[in-house]
Parts: sequence; C-alpha cells; structure tokens
Amino acid sequence: MRILIANLIAKIARTASRLTKSGGGTTLPGLLAEKIAPNIITKLAGRLPQGTIIITGTNGKTTTAKMLAAILEASGLKVIYNSSGSNLSRGIASFLSLNSNLLGTKVNADIGIFEVDEATMPEITGKISPRLIIVTNLFRDQLDRYGELNKTAEIIGSAIDKSPQSTVLLNGDDPLVADLKKFSHKIRYFGIDEPLVSKSTGAIDSKICLHCGHELDYEYRYFGHLGRYQCPNCGYKKPDLDYKFTKLDLKVDESTALFKNNSEKEDFTIKTKLPGLYNLYNALAACAIASELGIKTFIIQTALEQVSAAFGRMETIAIGKKRLALLLVKNPTGFTQVIETLTYDKKPKNLFLILNDKFADGTDISWIWDAELEMINRLTKNVTVSGLRAEDMLLRLKYADFDLKQILLEKNIALALAAALEKTNDNEVLYVLPTYTAMLELRKILFNRGLVKGLVE
Amino acid sequence: MKIKLTLAHLYPDNMNLYGDLGNIVTLEKRCSWRQIDLEIIKVNVGDSIDLEKVDLLFLGGGQDQGQKIIATDLLKRKEEIQKEIDRGLVALTICGGFQLFGQYFQTKTEKIPGIGVFDSYTVAGEKRLIGNVVVDISKSSQEWTPGFNHFTPKDKRATLVGFENHSGQTILGSKCKPLGYIKKGFGNRGDGGYEGGVYKNAFGTYLHGSLLPKNPWFADYLISLAYFRRYHDNIDLALLDDQIELEAHRAALTRAETAKTVSI
Repeated sequence: MRILIANLIAKIARTASRLTKSGGGTTLPGLLAEKIAPNIITKLAGRLPQGTIIITGTNGKTTTAKMLAAILEASGLKVIYNSSGSNLSRGIASFLSLNSNLLGTKVNADIGIFEVDEATMPEITGKISPRLIIVTNLFRDQLDRYGELNKTAEIIGSAIDKSPQSTVLLNGDDPLVADLKKFSHKIRYFGIDEPLVSKSTGAIDSKICLHCGHELDYEYRYFGHLGRYQCPNCGYKKPDLDYKFTKLDLKVDESTALFKNNSEKEDFTIKTKLPGLYNLYNALAACAIASELGIKTFIIQTALEQVSAAFGRMETIAIGKKRLALLLVKNPTGFTQVIETLTYDKKPKNLFLILNDKFADGTDISWIWDAELEMINRLTKNVTVSGLRAEDMLLRLKYADFDLKQILLEKNIALALAAALEKTNDNEVLYVLPTYTAMLELRKILFNRGLVKGLVE
Repeated sequence: MKIKLTLAHLYPDNMNLYGDLGNIVTLEKRCSWRQIDLEIIKVNVGDSIDLEKVDLLFLGGGQDQGQKIIATDLLKRKEEIQKEIDRGLVALTICGGFQLFGQYFQTKTEKIPGIGVFDSYTVAGEKRLIGNVVVDISKSSQEWTPGFNHFTPKDKRATLVGFENHSGQTILGSKCKPLGYIKKGFGNRGDGGYEGGVYKNAFGTYLHGSLLPKNPWFADYLISLAYFRRYHDNIDLALLDDQIELEAHRAALTRAETAKTVSI
C-alpha cells in the first residue's frame, strides 16, 4: 500500500515539475517516494528479472552506462538506466518508481543499470543486492565534498562488503581500485595491456602502495595513476587481467582497440566514435560487464560502434553551419585527458571554457591548476572564458602561456556563447569545456533556442 | 650578471593536493617575466639536497597517507632545515606541509612529530573545515621578518584570498606569529580567529586555491626575500601587469561573501 501511494505521489511530482518547468524532475519524485515508502528501492529493484548492474568510480560512469545499455538492448533485453544528475539515492528511487506500475508489482524492464556516486554506494548496496558492481577508476574529484581519495576507496570497499553475492569488476590498472579485491571473493579485472606513453607530466593522484605505504614503481602510465605498477617493497602489482584492450589506435573523433576476453578464444576489434583514451576505458568497462553477463562479443562489437556521446561527453550540436562539441570537465585528470585528446590533430581550435564553483562542480577550484592546459596553448585560434569563476580560468590561461590577445572573458554564459560562436567560422567546431552546473546552464540556453531536444538525455 | 635563484619543491610526488602546482608555476613565471632564472629542484623521499644552495623551499598539502610517508624523511632533514631557516631561507608551506613544519600533529590514533620550524602544534578536529577564505594581513604583516633583514613589503596589500579544506586545528605558540586574521572562513582553529603561521622567512597557511596566482604581491614578496637570502641585498622587482591577477583576487573576495562555507 505504501508503495502504491509512493508511486502515485512520485508520478504526480514529476508531472507537476514538468508542467511548472521548475526542474527537479529527476530527484523530487524519489525524495517524496522514499519518505513515504523507505523500502521502495529494495522492493522495486527486486522486481527486475535480470537484476541490476551498479557502475561507480570517479570518471566514466555515465558513458559506460550508456554504452552498456546499448549493448544489452542489442541483445534483446529491456533496459532501464538512470540518467546523469540523478545518481544519488533519491534519484534512483525516482527512477525506479517512475518506471514501475502503480502497485509496484512490476518494473517495466528486464535489467537495471544504476550509475551510483561513490559516497552513495554503501546506502545503495544496503538496499539492493546488485548482480554486478563495477569500479571504473578513482581520481581526485571534488575533495571538498568527499574528503580524500583513500577515504573514497574505503567507502566503496564497505559497500562491496555489504553485497557478498555480487560479482565485482575492478580496473586492474588503478592501484587504488584493484586493491578493493580484499572486500569480495568474486573479483574480475579489466584493463589495458599495452605500453603507452602519456604526454602528461603532471601530478599523480596516488602513488602509494596501500599495503605497505612504500612508493609504487611504474613501468608505464596511461594517465593519472593508471598504468603498469609494482611495489618494490611488498610486491603488490597490477593483477592479471580477465578482460583487456590491446593494440590501441587513438584519434580525435574515433578510437579502436583489440578486445581480449580470457575465457574466449577469439579476439575482436572494438571501435568507438567517442574520442580519447578515457573513452576507450569506458568501452572496455562496458565490454567487460557485457561479457561477464554472457553476451556474445559480436553483439558487443556492433552495438558499441553505434553509440554516440553521452550527455555533454563530446556530444556535438549543430548551430547553423557551425558545430558545438560539449566536453564536460570535473577534475584535473579528466580535464587533462580532454585537453590531450584535442591535441591529437594539430588544427587550431575554437575553445570555450566555463568554470562554475557551485556544490555540484566542487566549490574549490584549485584543481584547474593541476590540469595541464599548457599542452594546448599553441593550438587555439580563439578562447572564451565564462562562468562564476571566469577570472580564475583566465588567470590559469595566463600562467599556461596562452596568447592573451585571443581570449575573451564574459561571465554571463549566454552572452559568452554568442561571442564564442561569433568568433567561430562556418564549418568549424567550437569546443566547449564546462563544469557540471555550467553544462546544465548551457544546455538550458540551447534548449530555449530549440537547439537541443531535452534538458537531460 | 643574470640573477639566479633556486627553489626546492619538497615531496612533489606525495604532497601535491589542491593545485599546489599553481604556486610553483606562479613563482616560476613571475621570475622569468623579470629575467630572473629560477631553478626548480624536486626533492622526493631519500633524495639528497644541499639546502645552503637553496633560496626558497616549498611544501604542499597531501593526503594522510602521503603525509605519513614523508614525515619520517622530513625528520631526517630537521636540523638542516631549521639551521637554514635561521639563516634566512624562505619557505612556503601549505596545509599538511604547514602542519609538519610545526612541533607535532596529534591525530585520533597517533602523534606524528613535525620538524618544529614553527612554534605550533596541530590536533585532529571533529569536523572538516571547508570553504573560501579571506585573510586580513594588514596588521600581522608588520611583524613579519622582524629584525633579521631589513626588507618589508612596500606594496603591502590588505588581504589574501584562497580556499581552506582541513580537519586539523593548528595552535600557535609565542614564537610563531599568525600570517593574518580571518575576515571570512574558519582559520587555524576553526573559530574565525587567526590564520597560518610565520617564523622568520618561513610561512605556513591553510590557503590553497591556488594561493600565489591570486595573491601575486605575496609571490613577489617571497621572491624578494629569496633574493635577499642569496645576494644579501634588497631588490626592486620590476612591476608587472597584474590586471588579470587582481581581477581574480577581487572575484574571489566577492565569491567568499556569497558562497556558502561548510563543515562536514
């Protein structure tokens, strides 16, 4: 009965927020539903016949979820997955409630993919027993919210510990993530198996062996602290991989790699239209989960090739003869990766950087000083900076040796967009790098002009 | 003859949280724009370095784990660092670095000894103090570098802006002066009182953000002190166009007034 009322209220709340265009349509229904029926997540998730997959980690959750959904749909399953911005408990409650019948006896799908924030993990695994948990990576992200990185690892570990029946897929290239093996007996590893040299010279988030505190040795690094590592003191090292990519080929607009699944004889070439090494990691994560669920590699291969960018992750939008490419930036590693991807070709770029410092962006903007903007300082034609902390971004660009004559500062995002587009020639791309709330704001502007269909995916 | 200064960046691999690189790049650029050669030496655990040849020491913040690893190595350098600080070596230490330059850090489970450059100690607090900070240094800066050399900052600005994120509370003893007093934010003890610590040319603070880019005169002050350390003379640093820096400083002042601070 409680579930019925909760579902009813949730549906009314969504309709109301849509009618009033007040926003909050992704979290308010769940907030109310959980108030009325605190066990609503447990109840409704339990109705999914093929169970649930949980995706957590710092970077790549949304894109991995999107890729995985495409693969599972191609295999004939009906999939529900929570869209970006709703990966806290109330968002998941909303999403389940709105996808079930009023009585709560049926959820309208075979399998659920939940993207879950690191800090929300213990709460969620306390409520549902996922079939599989994947941890993509752990980077410094919004330390003002979560405290420190090792603490984040502990939080995820405690969540895994609460769900002993779940298969746990870990990124073996990340020493912090791979170490989570101690919390489960059902561990699989994915990773890249190829010597790659990163252009990045920047700070490594975590170079310390969690077992003995000694510094790790790296044979090579992919980015951040991901790579082939070994502890010279206690022997802790990158584990043998169950699922891996080799023979990587990276371009600005697409990438390919060879996928090896240790339990299958044949290898398959995987191709994705999404750029950058970080997106190959997402594709690998999706491949690994799908293989773990028993989906044939050729289905994975065809489905992945069709996937376009997730919300704000190199999504392109046509404006007349010009194009916008949206690349969300939220932490120094992600920012550096996006910048490095833009250097894959040497064409001078139109760049639009938007820095906000609201809670969802992280209120501490120090991280822009750890992002290696220097890599692209000779590869721009014109640069526009905007957002609540536009002045800080401009200052960062000054100390990264950008040509100041190319840069325009306009704090108002709508005006800045107009100016940046004005400076972009026909048939050119304007690369937009916003923080999270800046992206939502930008998207609203584009929506109001009829340039994008929805405010979220 | 070209002016040459040397900066030692202590433990860049372990103590590099919160945009510490912004401080290094600021010192580097502001020297190079004035044709001053700033050599940067990275000093990691076990590396040997002759501090007599160093003019500026930088130690940033780290995660608890990183801090524990370097604490032992830092202790081995205690006497040498103390001796050189007394001879005018300039030091900037931030957050965890500031704590380890004090007497000790009492965490919930153990007491990590520091090197005692600052007459201060730190105890783990119940809450994490997080938010934008504005520090008034108009009064406190009168007492910096008393008696040791004759340099005082001519272009003294009234405020430092930055961002704090710490759970440790740092209490100063009588031989350590505050860097300044909190106008907005929590400060050393979380009570909105004093911020940071100063002993001779050694400065400690909880401010990152990064600190130096948005407070360029303070970066210049450190460069001037480093010059005095090397050449035993005052320097008139060439003026730079700091319009962008000052805009960012002003924007941070405004933001500190409007944005929320939290303790979790």
